[in-house]
Amino acid sequence: MTEGDEAEASTGATPRVYKPEMPRGWWLRRRHYLLYMVREFTAVPMALWLLWLLAEIHRAASGPKAYYPAASPAFIVFSVICLGFAMYHSITFLSLAGVIIHLKFMGKPVPPRTIVGAMFGLWLVASVVIAAVLIGFAR
Amino acid sequence: MAEKRITIRTTRFDPDKDKVPRLQSYDIPFSDDSMVVLDALNHIKAHVDGSLSYRWSCRMGICGSCGMMVNGVPKLTCSAFMRDYWPRSITVEPLQNFPIVRDLVIDMEDFMHKLKSIKPWIIRKQEYPLGAGEHRQTMDQIDEFRQFSECINCMLCYAACPVYGLNNEFLGPAATALARRYNLDSRDQGLKDRLPVLANSEGVWECSFVGECSVVCPKGVDPAKAIQQTKLDTTTRFVLPYGNREE
Repeated sequence: MTEGDEAEASTGATPRVYKPEMPRGWWLRRRHYLLYMVREFTAVPMALWLLWLLAEIHRAASGPKAYYPAASPAFIVFSVICLGFAMYHSITFLSLAGVIIHLKFMGKPVPPRTIVGAMFGLWLVASVVIAAVLIGFAR
Repeated sequence: MAEKRITIRTTRFDPDKDKVPRLQSYDIPFSDDSMVVLDALNHIKAHVDGSLSYRWSCRMGICGSCGMMVNGVPKLTCSAFMRDYWPRSITVEPLQNFPIVRDLVIDMEDFMHKLKSIKPWIIRKQEYPLGAGEHRQTMDQIDEFRQFSECINCMLCYAACPVYGLNNEFLGPAATALARRYNLDSRDQGLKDRLPVLANSEGVWECSFVGECSVVCPKGVDPAKAIQQTKLDTTTRFVLPYGNREE
């Protein structure tokens, strides 16, 4: 048997069977499993960054004069790492949209590639709009 | 020229003698490039050790009986060519995530129960009389469900699914794909009979979209797609006005 499996041989009932258990390191067995776990893990740094954002909003509530933005090298490094995870999550999530969404146009199914392209297009437009609003407010 | 040989390691488990399964090695001739892993098992059973137990039937990728783990990957052994592994050894184990009955034979009772629970047949509220003729379908209507109907119940997708491995209560990939096959069939009216199984907490919502089920499927079915589309469908029915209307 594969290393790490633990025995659980059933007793009494007929027929007797062996029930293998998933080893703790199952997600290291295949590249696809590892990438899946990375995708799931992206929620952790993104949650931490959003908690920080909430703290910043709370700090900004005391007025523009008392507020100063976080700009330490450690914070910038942390933000870049979070951005990497966020990008990985967004790209994998949007790439799956073509699999999930089943649309028809003029009675014909819309190809998954078109749906994925449209999702990335909307993401780009939304990002440009939000960036324009933020830059506009900052001026 | 020396005869080409290959080492096959297979799981052995005798429920009357063994506490845990073990691996046994067999050195056999690899005489023909068209040999598949199932041929190796048949050679061992016929010429080396007649006590080796495993399931197989059609030897042509149709019956779905000979699914096993080949070097850690769920495969139909009748479609796994030994030339793709030689000169490395080949390790053949029973499909993972299932109880082992003996050697390479798994207990498929759980899957059979799940398969039955989604009612994989055409359900009609009222059957047409025979005299009314056949239920006609257009090619577009058939294309809606065609790929899901290719499932041969080989259970490779269950062996590849860590969610099922961690929680055997999960309905799983093949059962959901077959439920979708009938729910998308224009002749079927059984959606509401299947929804309680599909939409409960151990149904489609247990899936966290690993996607490996679709990778290992030997028939090109996409169970991960069936599960995610069913999630979308059940959500739409729940959220939208008249979403729960009779179909």
